[in-house]
Amino acid sequence: MSGGPLIVQSDKTLLLEIDHPDAQACRMAIAPFAELERSPEHVHTYRLTPLGLWNARAAGHDAEGVVDTLIKYSRYPVPHALLVDVAETMDRYGRLQLANDPAHGLVLRALDRMVLIEVAKSKKLAGMLGPKLDDDTIQVHPSERGRLKQALLKLGWPAEDLAGYVDGEAHQIDLAEAGKDGGKPWTLRSYQREAVEAFWAGGSGVVVLPCGAGKTLVGAAAMAEAKATTLILVTNTVAGRQWKRELIARTSLTEAEIGEYSGERKEIRPVTIATYQVLTSRKGGAFTHLDLFGARDWGLVIYDEVHLLPAPIFRFTADLQARRRLGLTATLVREDGREGDVFSLIGPKRYDAPWKDIEQQGWIAPAECTEVRVTLTDAERLSYATAEAEERYRMAATARTKLPVVRALVDRHPDEQVLVIGGYIDQLHQLGEYLDAPIVQGSTTNKERERLFDAFRSGEVKTLVISKVGNFSIDLPEAAVAIQVSGTFGSRQEEAQRLGRVLRPKADGRQAHFYTVVSRDTIDTEYAAHRQRFLAEQGYAYTIVDADDVLGPKLPSVD
Amino acid sequence: MTTSLADHLRTLPDESLAALLQLRPDLVVPVPADVSALAIRAQSRVSVARALDGLDQFTLQILDAARLTRDPEGGGTSVEAILAMATAGAHPPAPTTIRGAVNRLRALFLLYGPEHDLQVVGGVDEVSPYPAGLGRPAAELDPRAAAVCTDPAKLRRTLLSAPPSARAILDRLAAGPPVGTVPPGALDAPASGAEDVLPPDLVNGGAPTGSPIRWLVEHRLLVRMSGAKGGGTVELPREVALLLRRDSGPLGPLRSAPPVVASPPREAKSVDSAGAGQTMEVVRHTEALLDSLAVEPAPVLRSGGVGVRDLRRMARNLGLDDGSAALLFEVAYAAGLAGELDLTGSSSARYGGDQQILPTAGYEVWRAASLAQRWEQLARAWLTMTRQAGLVGQRDDRDRPITVLSAEAERASAPTVRRAVLDVLADLAPAAAPTPEEVLELLDWRAPRRARGREAAHREVLAEAAQLGVTGLGALTSYGRLLLTEMAEADERADDPLGLRSDAESGEPSTAVRALDALLPAPVDHFLLQADLTVVVPGPPDPALAGELDVVAEHESAGGASVHRVTTASIRRALDAGYSADDLHSLFRRRSRTPVPQGLTYLVDDVARKHGGLRVGSAGGYVRSDDEALLTEVLADKRLEPLAFRRLAPTVLVTPYLVQRMLTALRDAGYAPVPEDATGSAVLARPRTRRAPARMPATRTVDPLAAPRLPLPRLLGVVEQIRRGDAAARAARRAPAVVRGGAARTGPAPAHSHSDALAVLQQAVRDKALVWVGYVDAHGATASRLVRPVSIGAGYLRAEDERTEMLHTFALHRITAAVRED
Repeated sequence: MSGGPLIVQSDKTLLLEIDHPDAQACRMAIAPFAELERSPEHVHTYRLTPLGLWNARAAGHDAEGVVDTLIKYSRYPVPHALLVDVAETMDRYGRLQLANDPAHGLVLRALDRMVLIEVAKSKKLAGMLGPKLDDDTIQVHPSERGRLKQALLKLGWPAEDLAGYVDGEAHQIDLAEAGKDGGKPWTLRSYQREAVEAFWAGGSGVVVLPCGAGKTLVGAAAMAEAKATTLILVTNTVAGRQWKRELIARTSLTEAEIGEYSGERKEIRPVTIATYQVLTSRKGGAFTHLDLFGARDWGLVIYDEVHLLPAPIFRFTADLQARRRLGLTATLVREDGREGDVFSLIGPKRYDAPWKDIEQQGWIAPAECTEVRVTLTDAERLSYATAEAEERYRMAATARTKLPVVRALVDRHPDEQVLVIGGYIDQLHQLGEYLDAPIVQGSTTNKERERLFDAFRSGEVKTLVISKVGNFSIDLPEAAVAIQVSGTFGSRQEEAQRLGRVLRPKADGRQAHFYTVVSRDTIDTEYAAHRQRFLAEQGYAYTIVDADDVLGPKLPSVD
Repeated sequence: MTTSLADHLRTLPDESLAALLQLRPDLVVPVPADVSALAIRAQSRVSVARALDGLDQFTLQILDAARLTRDPEGGGTSVEAILAMATAGAHPPAPTTIRGAVNRLRALFLLYGPEHDLQVVGGVDEVSPYPAGLGRPAAELDPRAAAVCTDPAKLRRTLLSAPPSARAILDRLAAGPPVGTVPPGALDAPASGAEDVLPPDLVNGGAPTGSPIRWLVEHRLLVRMSGAKGGGTVELPREVALLLRRDSGPLGPLRSAPPVVASPPREAKSVDSAGAGQTMEVVRHTEALLDSLAVEPAPVLRSGGVGVRDLRRMARNLGLDDGSAALLFEVAYAAGLAGELDLTGSSSARYGGDQQILPTAGYEVWRAASLAQRWEQLARAWLTMTRQAGLVGQRDDRDRPITVLSAEAERASAPTVRRAVLDVLADLAPAAAPTPEEVLELLDWRAPRRARGREAAHREVLAEAAQLGVTGLGALTSYGRLLLTEMAEADERADDPLGLRSDAESGEPSTAVRALDALLPAPVDHFLLQADLTVVVPGPPDPALAGELDVVAEHESAGGASVHRVTTASIRRALDAGYSADDLHSLFRRRSRTPVPQGLTYLVDDVARKHGGLRVGSAGGYVRSDDEALLTEVLADKRLEPLAFRRLAPTVLVTPYLVQRMLTALRDAGYAPVPEDATGSAVLARPRTRRAPARMPATRTVDPLAAPRLPLPRLLGVVEQIRRGDAAARAARRAPAVVRGGAARTGPAPAHSHSDALAVLQQAVRDKALVWVGYVDAHGATASRLVRPVSIGAGYLRAEDERTEMLHTFALHRITAAVRED
């Protein structure tokens, strides 16, 4: 018994006790091959998955090393069967290689002939493989590179992609770290630098950083590394504008070099920012904007919020395997479970840092999460009790009783910028009237949105009520308080994104506050619990308070 | 030569004879009558085979050398001849090792006699017909082949001219055994017209000769032995084989020492650690398996064993593959943790028999023991069980799947096989980790005759040992080694019937358990609580903690530690089980090493607040009234006290008694209740006239006193029955006293001996006369029977009993007396 910080479970989870003196060293040692699943305050849970082990193998770690690490840090004896399984799984990666043959172009090469025979017989690969060149080599149609990788992953024999990348059309891009147009000089943060290096070394892949950790800058640095024309795919127009603003401020690019390809404008420039929506819009069943991918000889494709990548984009991405691809996201968890496609089509995870660690380094505003429980009035309870099942959540989430509580919370933070986030338009309008605050919702025009956001940033507007549009990619660094009144059922992702709104670093390092107002004893509480689980697993402990405490006079001893 | 071995044995001193019996204990079962009998038995095929089974490859090869160097006339050989032959190869072993092997053979009396005139005992040739894998000399096989072999130069030339495919066949036969089966048609002449397709044969004048076997037979390099037209077997003459073996020597490659393990040894610590980890898994899985059996017992099939479907289900629950689950099931059964239970009065339509497999009472004891002790019980059961779990899932001779716990997986040799494999590992240096192939090779060297055909079983043993944690990373663990030693010592103690030297029953944990205990984590009595409501127990929980967690949290992940999650449902379960909110709070506070998260406190309070908000119960009847005062009066009425009314609400009373009784009591007390049905509407009751159940009106019946009608056939039958009974009674009465056996004790005539009876019977056969036979039946009682003898022969009397019209057979030695019927 070594008394190490790690406990290896037979379901292939690793429990890391973080208060142990060796915890930090152990974390560094297991991070390459184990995926962080949960990081609550005392015991972090990592999981050994085939994808994770293959990621490690791709990064040059061998099975022996992984086994040694497990044994070295494990507090208890590690089951033999698990070690064998780890070694066997890792051994599967790279038995097949995709390579460039000078004579035949793209080929699938086997280091283990039996695997090639097994794989070649599979029906799933029918049509992807060309003629057999010799016992160990099969020609591959270049157009099938992505789909082949996808299929091989499903068969459990992930191929190592050594076929290289095209450089694309060169375009000079530099980081303007000295400060541009009279701006302050700045430098890339250490973890951003590491993320870019890891990505560049791997060629293609995903960088996982929490909201507010400066993913845009990682993208910009990657572009500066590639020095080539770049296609950036973002979730919506507002996010695209932010990218543009950030790129102009932080790199040598000028406004004329950056194009916007959205529902409103269709510009194709050396750096083009397109939305997922416009790319996946169809006219008469056909995707009409696919030409964009071929419009220029792109040297780099950046996918923002990769966990939201719509299914059609995967299909296009399968055709882009010769180009460098960078995925940026706060979480690899996809509600549709297509993590494997992200792995095979965009690339393995290249960099990951737990939120709390980055927060401790001071790059994210520390946040205090509070759940405020509102007791419904008897009339509300009665109408909730008799409501139809599908109406119940709406009834509970939009209870009028929440309004005074929200007001009280806003009043608690008179000097801060407050976002009130909700899912139901009617409720938002009520809130808007009650708090006398402007509303941003789906029907608000982009121009109006920009105006309101600018006003908020500048401090003109103190309180802003936003609908689901606020879930993604709006940069409102000054928001220090978020009050969530209703959400999309139990979406964990949404909770993470909303918390991300207030996690942008504050100018003076103030504490951020995240409130969730829920109705007691209703389905609202259950959904809230589900959503919070994700954040609790990320190490954000929730405090629960009663609405009465919020509404009543402030107790002298609090805080 | 039998006599000569017997003579030789006779000349031996007692100690040497005892040494022989010690080496070949099968010779004394049963104890031979004299030295000749001992000699005959020592040369019998069975005993020789047993002696050979235990020999290693090298000793067997030396025995082969002795057989080959025998003088064809006198049958003797000498140590010098053996040495000469054994050192003829390219890498000759040291003469001392050869002498050692010869001495081993002489100790076993497989070779006997003085050094210059060694004899090979007769049974050896019967047991293995081909010494050193060489065929018979050509002269014994076929004169034409012998002719070829007499000219070494020509033989060599023919060999060199053999086509590659024919040469491959020769090489295979030369390596032994020298006999091959020929596929049908391979010896036929090539079909006419096929000449162009087949390669030309230069030796045969350019004409192709067809298949390579045909080529060899045609050139007298192989001799066709027997078989139907076109097929059969061929044998390689000894001379040809010796020529082919000229590089390696006549005995083939000799290995005087066991093969060396090339795989690098592991670190002893990692071996133990991996094994210990596996033991925890095994114990946990076994416990899960038995728990699932407790919840859903597995029905026993009519043909024995547990069905494939049930096994799959359990494997799935455990997250194991079918094979591993089958092993655990077999081991748990062998360890006495699971057993059958008869289903009494079962009328269910289950497809199985009327037995189920359930955890036994011993399971409770096992569960209370420490991890290491639990493992030891399983490991001991595995080592000693006569079951080959690897057979489960395969198909038997009749192509039916072998099921777990069925009789088809029974193998009496299983413990020996396990022991042999583990001994190989135990004899290597600690933490040496040979590959399975190397282990098989070692086994093959140690006792080739035993290892042959058991490769699959040996591999299974290695896989099972790894699964049970006896080995780790391919090497025997330290505690596994201790367990093997202990069990071997226990075997030796078995010949100590009085238990004089015994210290096993002291109740102390064995050294293996103590060694394993040191490797396993100590139980912990605390956990870590986290904000995501997970409860992490950083080690195996002690039983009290495990019991508490079972109630208050859902199990999420197991292994070295265990992770549980507190949910609304689990808290509700705890409240149902009698915990109060305060109990839960204090439980979490007491057990947790970390502060209790506020979310958990809220969850407990929330659930507790709602718990019991609805109350459910049953009652025999209720009384309701809109008049609360009236109900109060009923409740207070002393006459209604026996009804035990309870006030549920101001307007409702309930009673455990039935409505009818309550109605009567209320009416008797002067109230005017109206009964209600389930929907709340009043039930109106009018007095009903009582009636007995409907009956059939009387019809004409048969007079029981009237005389029965007797038709003629029935009458005749009755008469015959009577006559038969009469004859039987007469016969019984008339058995002579001599025959009845009573006279033998009282009378002076024991002289009526067996031979007299035989004479009477023989005469009766000739006369076809009736005879009274007295005999001792299978139970030792004397009986007598009147029969007509039919024949006497082979120690049996066959006779006809006229009364029962049956043919009886009597053993003559059981007949005590015979008397003619007159």
